[in-house]
Amino acid sequence: MTTPLLETRDLTLAYGAFRAVDGVGLRIRPGTIHTVIGPNGAGKTSLFHCLTGERRASSGRILFDGRDITRRPAHGRVALGMARSFQITSLFQNLSVRENLRLAAQGTAGWRALNFWQRLDTHRRHAATADEMLERLALTERAELPAGTLSHGQQRILEVGMAMCARPRLLLLDEPTSGMGVDDIPTMTRLIGELGRNHTVLLIEHNMSIVMSISDTITVMNRGQILIEGPPQSVREDERVRTAYLGEAA
Amino acid sequence: MTPKLTAPARGDNRRTGNAITRRRPAATTLAMFAVVVALPLVVPSATLACEILIFAMAVLGCNLLLGYTGLLSFGQAIFFGSGAYVAALAMIHWQVGLFTALLLAVAAGGLLALLVGALAIRRKGIYFVMLTLALTQMAYFIAYTLSDWTGGDNGLLDVPRPPVALGGFTLFDLETPLAFYSLVAVLFVLIYLGARRVIDSAFGSTLLAIRENEARAAAVGYDTRHFKILAFTLSGAVTGLAGALYAMLLNFVPLSNIELPMSEQILIMTIIGGTGSLFGSLLGAGTIVILGDLLSALWPRWMLLLGVALIAVVMFMRGGLWGGLEALGRRRAGASRKTQEDA
Repeated sequence: MTTPLLETRDLTLAYGAFRAVDGVGLRIRPGTIHTVIGPNGAGKTSLFHCLTGERRASSGRILFDGRDITRRPAHGRVALGMARSFQITSLFQNLSVRENLRLAAQGTAGWRALNFWQRLDTHRRHAATADEMLERLALTERAELPAGTLSHGQQRILEVGMAMCARPRLLLLDEPTSGMGVDDIPTMTRLIGELGRNHTVLLIEHNMSIVMSISDTITVMNRGQILIEGPPQSVREDERVRTAYLGEAA
Repeated sequence: MTPKLTAPARGDNRRTGNAITRRRPAATTLAMFAVVVALPLVVPSATLACEILIFAMAVLGCNLLLGYTGLLSFGQAIFFGSGAYVAALAMIHWQVGLFTALLLAVAAGGLLALLVGALAIRRKGIYFVMLTLALTQMAYFIAYTLSDWTGGDNGLLDVPRPPVALGGFTLFDLETPLAFYSLVAVLFVLIYLGARRVIDSAFGSTLLAIRENEARAAAVGYDTRHFKILAFTLSGAVTGLAGALYAMLLNFVPLSNIELPMSEQILIMTIIGGTGSLFGSLLGAGTIVILGDLLSALWPRWMLLLGVALIAVVMFMRGGLWGGLEALGRRRAGASRKTQEDA
């Protein structure tokens, strides 16, 4: 078995007596699209927050490429090659679409971004990354518009594009299709599918048709724990998954 | 820029208030030069012109924090006052020259801002503001208590205004207000161009990102604390320089230089001029200083009118005077385009 790019060992996030994430051991193999699903309140987003550094795990460890990152702050994980998108769109609303992408690319520059004397033209690399990404997201025509004026679907796509600008080794996507109209979902599905070819992706998603069509591995969570894990086919047919979802509905 | 790029951009200027000033920096820089040259001829006295540019410098510093980073700092008086005291004390006790005094003020302002910033940015929003308020109060009482050095309530008297000298040779005497104005004007232009450069840098673009959405800025990899502290340091350095020049202008450092109302005055000028616009800083400082001069001669309670002016700007001109001018310019441009289309 290949060494995982991201691994959690006995990861727990407790809010008082309640364990939102309860002893999760996740192994994400490089080059795969790994999806975490589960009914509402299963602890998917809490797990995600531990991985991005937004919340600090109560116990357990997170290893990225063999390196312990459990206590690393969110901004420090970007430099290692992790990038994330947000479930609720979080853009630089009043800045242009191009500037949103350029800033995201520049985020990997670390201390060099503190240079307050050199003009931006000297950082052409980041602008080039932004332009490349605009093409890829089919947003070139809207490059100069403030990000806040894009349609919701386009904002979701820009959201994912910003995570990609860091050229990360691992992309963490938190419900990229949340709130998207049916018309925009195929674009997002295609985008994530493409990403899977040259990135490792950890996806949290509700939309089952996307999950089943693009995932290599699916982890099903329930009550903070991993219920089962496996390829889409076996997850689809598993009785326990149905019970978990139906149990919520009943 | 090629015409191809500017053509589609024109339409959306309407929605990107800040992008405009960044798109036409050459025009506003030229306007700034014109104002600096014309100022002593237009306003009643060269002393008043000096005061305008000195406060415009402090406002530039404040704008870097408020307009570009989104930090409402009531700490500006600390940097202004300490710049004034440090320069004045160094000139009085060590007989240092002009440039040494100014450099010491820059260093003092920058260093104190580094400390104040590093402490205050540990909290966000209202708590950040309260910390800057509290620190200003502390600085005021320190200055008040150290009356042997600062003169306490009476202020620090007999501050010299040394000539521009190089290696013991006097090159340029600054005794007349107009001569002093030329020094202030040169420094102001340098600071303005420097500020432009800072804003156009990778650092400056990241400040805007932090102002827009700090959580996202952190998520794409920026350690936002470093950026805020550096913004504070640069702001404090410029404000310290302004304080030192003000002391030389008055030949005196009043205790009020390091008092909370000084912070408020700088903030009001920043907001009235237009946050996030360098030229707005000049407008804001100019308007308040001139209004103060005119109105105080007419009515001792003129500050009341200033309050009304501030309310009017906040209610009706969100972008300050600069934003108002821009809106006017757009309306006229829109009207002329319409007549062209009709014709």
